[in-house]
Amino acid sequence: MVNNSNQINANHLHSFSGGLKLKHHKNDSLQNGLSRLTLPEKLYISLRINRGNIAKPIVNIGDRVLKGQIIAKPDTANGSYIHASSSGTVTAIEERTTASPDADISTVIEISTDGKDEWIKLIENNILEKIKTCTARNIIDAIHDGGLVGLGGAGFPTHLKYKSKDNEVHSIIDTLIINGAECEPYITCDEQLMIDYPDDLINGTLLLMKASGASQAVLAIEDQVGGIKTRLEHILKLRQIEKIVVIKVPTIYPAGGEKQLIKVLTGQEVPSGGLPLDLGIIVQNVGTIKALSDFVSRGQPLVERVVTVAGDCIGKAQNFITAIGTPINHLLQQAQCDFDATQRLVIGGPMMGYAMPDAAIGIDKTSNCILALSAKNTQQHGETMPCIRCGECVNVCPAELLPQQLHWYINGGNLEKAREHHLFDCIECGACAWVCPSQIKLVDYYRYAKSELKYLDYKREKSDIAQNRHEQREDRLLRLKNERAAKRKRTRRRSNDPDKMKLDLQATLDRVNAAKKSKTDNREQMNESK
Amino acid sequence: MNPSKTFNTQSAPHIPNNNTVAKVMLTVWLALIPAMIAHVFFFGTGIIIQLTLSIVFALGFEAMSLKLLNKPIKLFLKDYSAFVTGLLFALCISPVAPWWVSFIGMFFAIVVAKHLFGGLGQNIFNPAMVGFAVVLISFPQSMSIWLAPHEISPYAMSFLENLQAIFLNQFPASITFDTLTQATPLDSIKTGISQGFSQSEISSQPLFGDFGGLGWEWIANFYFLGGLFLIYKRIITWRVPAAVILTTIAFSLPFNIYDADHFIGPIQHLFSGGLMLAAFFIATDPTSGCSSHKGQLIFGAGVAIMIVLVREFGNFPDGVAFGVLLMNMAAPLIDKLTIPKAFGQQADE
Repeated sequence: MVNNSNQINANHLHSFSGGLKLKHHKNDSLQNGLSRLTLPEKLYISLRINRGNIAKPIVNIGDRVLKGQIIAKPDTANGSYIHASSSGTVTAIEERTTASPDADISTVIEISTDGKDEWIKLIENNILEKIKTCTARNIIDAIHDGGLVGLGGAGFPTHLKYKSKDNEVHSIIDTLIINGAECEPYITCDEQLMIDYPDDLINGTLLLMKASGASQAVLAIEDQVGGIKTRLEHILKLRQIEKIVVIKVPTIYPAGGEKQLIKVLTGQEVPSGGLPLDLGIIVQNVGTIKALSDFVSRGQPLVERVVTVAGDCIGKAQNFITAIGTPINHLLQQAQCDFDATQRLVIGGPMMGYAMPDAAIGIDKTSNCILALSAKNTQQHGETMPCIRCGECVNVCPAELLPQQLHWYINGGNLEKAREHHLFDCIECGACAWVCPSQIKLVDYYRYAKSELKYLDYKREKSDIAQNRHEQREDRLLRLKNERAAKRKRTRRRSNDPDKMKLDLQATLDRVNAAKKSKTDNREQMNESK
Repeated sequence: MNPSKTFNTQSAPHIPNNNTVAKVMLTVWLALIPAMIAHVFFFGTGIIIQLTLSIVFALGFEAMSLKLLNKPIKLFLKDYSAFVTGLLFALCISPVAPWWVSFIGMFFAIVVAKHLFGGLGQNIFNPAMVGFAVVLISFPQSMSIWLAPHEISPYAMSFLENLQAIFLNQFPASITFDTLTQATPLDSIKTGISQGFSQSEISSQPLFGDFGGLGWEWIANFYFLGGLFLIYKRIITWRVPAAVILTTIAFSLPFNIYDADHFIGPIQHLFSGGLMLAAFFIATDPTSGCSSHKGQLIFGAGVAIMIVLVREFGNFPDGVAFGVLLMNMAAPLIDKLTIPKAFGQQADE
């Protein structure tokens, strides 16, 4: 069921239950503006696209590559291209730690840069013309060719969002939501983009509206954000665009969560286990839109992104335009990081980000922020106390779950019970773990239980298939047996008729005699030939 | 710079919040301080001795249990949960109750109700209420002897005399035992009604104040204020207290309207005995209570109904302990029946 009338009214916003008010820490990086990071000597480009999706390299060690050249292709339809983010020589293709959740090991292409930063041949376009003339198909192809993935975090290949199950253009989308609500503390890369590239943002939005068939687009930003709304609205007015509106949403973590944002704007809840698509909505991150605009106007695929470098060990917090694959080390150095004081190095935000084991890891397309935190400013997990069921986690859970109950069930090995309590609706925002007075790493429990349940389901599915196959075999054998029995019965019935019996007997005798005769003939022939 | 430096890889969230169980418990203690001061003001320094005794016994039994169970003693003593159990227990008993009352009460609270059930967070029953129920049933005599509030008492016991009363069971010789001590207001109502007095006759006695018992009503006021502080500090939510208070009013009002002479009025209910303490500090115990929001409302309502029933029809003057313990038993079932709808789940599921 698709509701094709998502009513969005800036004066009538909704709210989601739970959530946290956190200190923003956003000004540190914003006040220093955006600058382009110098090119590192080596780029470590991860071929991991997202969970379970790894691209296959199509270059070899020793090859010279140009900036923007495709160096890896996905081997399934669910992947996206990976391009070289600067010119140079491929010096290694091997398994390494990547800047992905839990610092997964994955294939990494190492490029030793030559400093020329030489592009492949780029095709420039007049983007305004393009917006008018191109079709939805053209745009979706551009998204695919540009190697675009969701830059907000999960790295979901963007082109897949704009195709329906039967590989067609959507006909059910009425609203495009541009997610500019960076709800995690410290991260400002999207805000920085909105400050520096408002026109690109609007162009990209127009393209995506065309690709999705949406009749309205909403750019959602947090209400703590400064003058962006006024500036964007000014440009929209000048360009006489009325179908894009800018709406400020209350700054409550995790307001930037896809489901939460939709709830705040439309009052509707994405069904459990469903997608925004079920409500006729597509949500897209600001960074992804800028990347699309870059590709359409200048032909530049996704080879760089804005990365916030912040944290209390950073001397000069800032946003950097960074080539994909740039080692964290390089970013930290430019931002004057105090390495000795740094106790934890986080990719992503402080609530959902992943701690990295070392700084020689290249950033990937989803790395929006790098935090260098000192021990003082880090959650120190001393001794975890037992849960006292204080219920604070229930009060803050944006998915309206009972986190402490889930914890009890998972702790007791009762995973199915946790599923009954809607474990899979958990968005892993970390609000529960943050407020927990017993300092229980609740999200870890949920991740464990989810993967365990998925594995059990997989096993059950396999055993179901095996059982099915076994039962079918049994059925088939039984059927054959019955058929044989029936046939035997038929012959026996026939043999009761004396005339027929005589005929049958005669026929059999004839057959036997004929066979005997041919046998003797054969033997005679053989003897003769001897 | 050391490029090969390795970092701590704990999982998110990374920024500190510094919320601890100890902080939760100490906030509860802070919220009780005004009521304790009021207690001292009206009933003398006996409560200080009772608090000290209960807390010392609570911590002693806690340490002993932890040692016997091979659990880290220092870590769990520092969570202040036993401290709060002692605190709540002492506030329920008479300021001149003999010392062994808190000894036995704390034994059942800490050793039986808490550690035999698995320790912090695992207890099915509220430990303070288990301790209180045990001494209430076992020693009704000692539990019903209360001091008269100082406004109507002819004699204020000194700290030393309180000590003598608690440890040696010796009361000041200069004054008769009967003038010094007094039944609790709820006790007086119960005996009054059984002797054929009407509600209005009983509450015109000097023992009663504007809403409830003299002195008691003020302590109840401070429990109320302390409870609001806990709600403000997000230690408890409004649900259980609101359910207890509103249900008490709603449930007792029909009785009172039907026969005002024999049934206690809602206001008298609220400001007498341990109801306010229970509403904000005891029924809100998260470990033994309900976790779903709807369940918390049911839990609070159940506690209130039990309290009113015991007070009106039971043998005991107050029903706080029984109400809480009964609902503790029902809590897992209530939780099971009130699983909230998660985000995006259909409401009818």
